[in-house]
Amino acid sequence: MTEKAAPRSERSQARRFAGWREHHGWSAAASLRRLGGRPLGTLMTVAVLGLALALPLAFYLLLANVQSMGNALGQNPAVSVFLKTDQAGAQANLLAGELRGRADVAAVTVKTPQQGLDELATLQGFSGAVHALDDANPLPWVLVVQPRTGLDAAAVDKLVESLRGERAVDLVQDSSQWRQRLDALLDVGHRAVLVLAGLLALAALLVVGNTVRTDIASRSEEIGVLMLLGASRAFVRRPYLYAGIWYGLFGGVLASLLAMAIELALAGPAAELDRAYGGRLMLGALPWWLLLAVPLAAAVLGWVGARLVSAWQLRKAA
Amino acid sequence: MIRFDQVSKRYEGGHEALSQLSFEVAAGEMAFVTGHSGAGKSTLLKLIALIERPSHGQIVVEGQSLAKVGRGGIPKLRRRLGMVFQDHRLLMDRTVFANVELPLTIGGIAPAERSRRVRAALEKVGLLAYERQLPDSLSTGEQQRVGIARAIVARPAVLIADEPTGNLDPQLAVEIMGLFAEFQDIGTTVLVASHDLPLIKRMHKRVVVLDHGRLVADIPGEEVL
Repeated sequence: MTEKAAPRSERSQARRFAGWREHHGWSAAASLRRLGGRPLGTLMTVAVLGLALALPLAFYLLLANVQSMGNALGQNPAVSVFLKTDQAGAQANLLAGELRGRADVAAVTVKTPQQGLDELATLQGFSGAVHALDDANPLPWVLVVQPRTGLDAAAVDKLVESLRGERAVDLVQDSSQWRQRLDALLDVGHRAVLVLAGLLALAALLVVGNTVRTDIASRSEEIGVLMLLGASRAFVRRPYLYAGIWYGLFGGVLASLLAMAIELALAGPAAELDRAYGGRLMLGALPWWLLLAVPLAAAVLGWVGARLVSAWQLRKAA
Repeated sequence: MIRFDQVSKRYEGGHEALSQLSFEVAAGEMAFVTGHSGAGKSTLLKLIALIERPSHGQIVVEGQSLAKVGRGGIPKLRRRLGMVFQDHRLLMDRTVFANVELPLTIGGIAPAERSRRVRAALEKVGLLAYERQLPDSLSTGEQQRVGIARAIVARPAVLIADEPTGNLDPQLAVEIMGLFAEFQDIGTTVLVASHDLPLIKRMHKRVVVLDHGRLVADIPGEEVL
């Protein structure tokens, strides 16, 4: 059995699709050639885009690392309960036993005044002061209370309040408070990075838009000829859309490279900081997917900028 | 076929370029539109190409009323026309081949077919040997012939030309007009705006005479002396 020939309309559609695809290829290559034809202008635009997009990336890197530092250092938030100095070990152990029975307490460690003094002596600059005390130890008994895992901030506050109400207690220090403050600060930071990223993305869009606008203005004669010959607006604007994509893509690649360079520049000091905390900080680099996503998102941004401007410019030219 | 039916065109500012103009150029016919400067020749061609819209009246090109062509339909209509301009309107940064190829690229014609048709068009105007050159390296007459090749490469049903011999010496002008007549011979409707009366007389084609936007004479080809 022989195959039936495709109907004329299908063949014509296939030819039109092949022509459309070919023009896309031509537009992509021609716009790239035009960019290469004015290297200084292209480099300036790409550099501005790269710097604008690298800035939120750098802030993101900073915040992500501060967050992991906070996570690492605040893994076991504890409440330090300082007993009055007239309280003896028996009262300390009695109170510890009571606290261990509470549902909101995971563990209680009793620290003797001597242990407190020994810890103080290990801190830089305090050993002289500790030796000057001779045999006198002014430090109280301390209970280190570990709240139960998963307890929310309000429940921890309630626990702290009830500890403050104990007759034998002089002072209660809640170490989880700094973590809460840090988290709040990081929330503000994340929001600021988002706003900054939005503003800089808008700036990138305007930079691409303005470059494409200049490009279109300089080729107005060619556009006029194309339109007289029956070119649709989609056909005319295609090379400019590709120019926008190229600007965005190259700007995004530069931004990712800059972010990697910043990472590299900070790697030494960050490693030292991590060592100082016994390798607990878990400082990290920007994820690979983000470094890949930035050029792609920037290319989309470039396309949008070029699309908006070319639609406006060509409406004027029509 | 081109038909003007009571067509007037008044520009912003009040200048009336065409007034109550009615005439028809049959399919496969060649006609000249002539008149002094400002008679409305160029406006007439601009109306056919939908560069301008009439203020009144109706224009029909190849059976299609231009009043019904919306903004989105303009490119499609222009793809059915061949246009030749006095100033050639060539893209100077593209080769002769690429310039002539443009209407076919715009029309979505496949590369092999494009190549074949461009060479045929260039051969027709005698410029096949110049296909790789940039228009700047050609004489004015050769540039005009490139413009003509570009206008006919997509095999339009209607060919319009605005002062196509304006910058050419008389001998070259006759050659160019001879080319237009050849296109008429293969069934293309040709409308040429020109103020070169001696040249028009030599062609023995129909002449539509305009004066201040009005039709003052419509002379059949055999009566042109």
